[in-house]
Amino acid sequence: MGTETEMNADLKPGFYPTDEEIEKWMASAFEMAKDALENGEVPVGCLMVYNNEVVGKGRNEVNETKNATRHAEMVALDQVLEWCRHGDVDPQSVCVRTVLYVTVEPCIMCAAALRLLNIPVVVYGCGNERFGGCGSVLDVSTAQLPHTGTAFKCVAGYRAQEAVEMLKAFYKQENPNAPKPKPRKD
Amino acid sequence: MEPQSKRRKEAESDNADSWVALPVLSDQQSQDTELISAFAAPITDKKETSRLIKELRCLYPLTGLQHIKRVRSRKPADGLHSPEVLVCLVSDAPDVDLHSESLAIDSLLPSNSVGLDGLGPPFLVKIPAFPPLTRPQFQVASKHWPTTFHEDKQVTVALRGELFSQPQKARMQGYMEAALAAARAGGGLGSGQEPVGAAMVDPKEERIIAVGHDCRGGNPLHHAVMVCIDLVARGQGGGAYRFEEYPACTAALSLTSSHSKPASETSKTIARVVDEGQPYICTGYDLYVTREPCVMCAMALVHSRIGRVFYGTASSDGALGTRYKIHTQKDLNHRFDVFKGVLGQQCKDLYGLKDPIKH
Repeated sequence: MGTETEMNADLKPGFYPTDEEIEKWMASAFEMAKDALENGEVPVGCLMVYNNEVVGKGRNEVNETKNATRHAEMVALDQVLEWCRHGDVDPQSVCVRTVLYVTVEPCIMCAAALRLLNIPVVVYGCGNERFGGCGSVLDVSTAQLPHTGTAFKCVAGYRAQEAVEMLKAFYKQENPNAPKPKPRKD
Repeated sequence: MEPQSKRRKEAESDNADSWVALPVLSDQQSQDTELISAFAAPITDKKETSRLIKELRCLYPLTGLQHIKRVRSRKPADGLHSPEVLVCLVSDAPDVDLHSESLAIDSLLPSNSVGLDGLGPPFLVKIPAFPPLTRPQFQVASKHWPTTFHEDKQVTVALRGELFSQPQKARMQGYMEAALAAARAGGGLGSGQEPVGAAMVDPKEERIIAVGHDCRGGNPLHHAVMVCIDLVARGQGGGAYRFEEYPACTAALSLTSSHSKPASETSKTIARVVDEGQPYICTGYDLYVTREPCVMCAMALVHSRIGRVFYGTASSDGALGTRYKIHTQKDLNHRFDVFKGVLGQQCKDLYGLKDPIKH
């Protein structure tokens, strides 16, 4: 973490984000994470950007929907698909040129979802030691999974400390919906 | 919520012997026995046994190999009754020439460390590197050198395919039949759906909570498992997907659900429900799904705190056995049991309908 991983290698110019783009879009993602924190949700915010346009954004909506899979990325991906439907454009052609900006490393589930939709690049803040799917727990982003869409590249570590501090602030509060922790058997 | 007609149930009920639900165990539980080389030596005078064990343990404690028994007694059938003691690992004695015809015991033991009385010439053995976790592993390990074994009886019974009674199997079959019926209904809609179905079950009440099928024609991420999880949320007064076009995706309304409440009150409602001992999302529920979940769906089940998962047939990028074993993944905060093979043939046959490559 903290370094750009395997960048530039075989990405076509045009959807590899510049430093200016990363700064600009990550600032918005952090605003959304703050909004989540203020609303009692896990503070993760994300944006999906296609052709310099935000086509999806999301924050965690797990408590609100009572669906534990409604992470920020899943919410944003649904918006991208909805944006394509409204504009009557092929989701496939949009997704392969869309960058995800997210404050925390996508979890294993979200990493697989990003692959299934062929998102090529993910820019994220801090790693996710609990669930991370881009190397922290499993590396779904680059694994050989021929039936699970395409691998994607990660740019990790942007404003990582800030993202960690927000998560810490959240986990210090009590999550009323979390199950009571059980002692580990092993 | 009874998805199958009585007649169909009776017609298929004699299939309960046609399938076995086998556990999908962790790599540690299912891997072959790894062996390492060591030196052992016969104890020629049994009266010296306890002294030899004590002194050898002091010199070569065999750290990390607590499962290895220090002494094995040869079976009388071998004709030789003398016990044998493990001296050290080959890696503990790096200067010893393994190819030398006659290995001397004092080349393994620095002078004055161990009294040599009652100890015969050393020889090479292979010993199991890790403690056996299952009975099959224990049986293989014991052929090489005796080990301790803390048996998990449930795993032993499960590996024999005998964990579930006939009445349990009949119920399991009914749940998988509901998933199969949903898979057929979804696959029949055309427009990109894959023939996959899932049923969420409350095993305490023996009740189906939700039945769903693959809806990826409408949204590529709406796999049957994701659909079922959202249907459970819907049954609890939440949910995020739309199901107007999919009449075969249904959820039973939970008695404690309260959809009439405004959104601002919903999290309070969950908190109250949890206080009353009601499930957290899918806590304690069983999922029956016709094919092994993908990575996204498997992790969604971790997030939903699923109780157990039963699937019919494996899938090539599957994450509960084939490509990953997410249910046994260390570092994740929730683990669960997975069984495969419930109505395996019927689940496999779904792909006869279309696109046999993808599964």
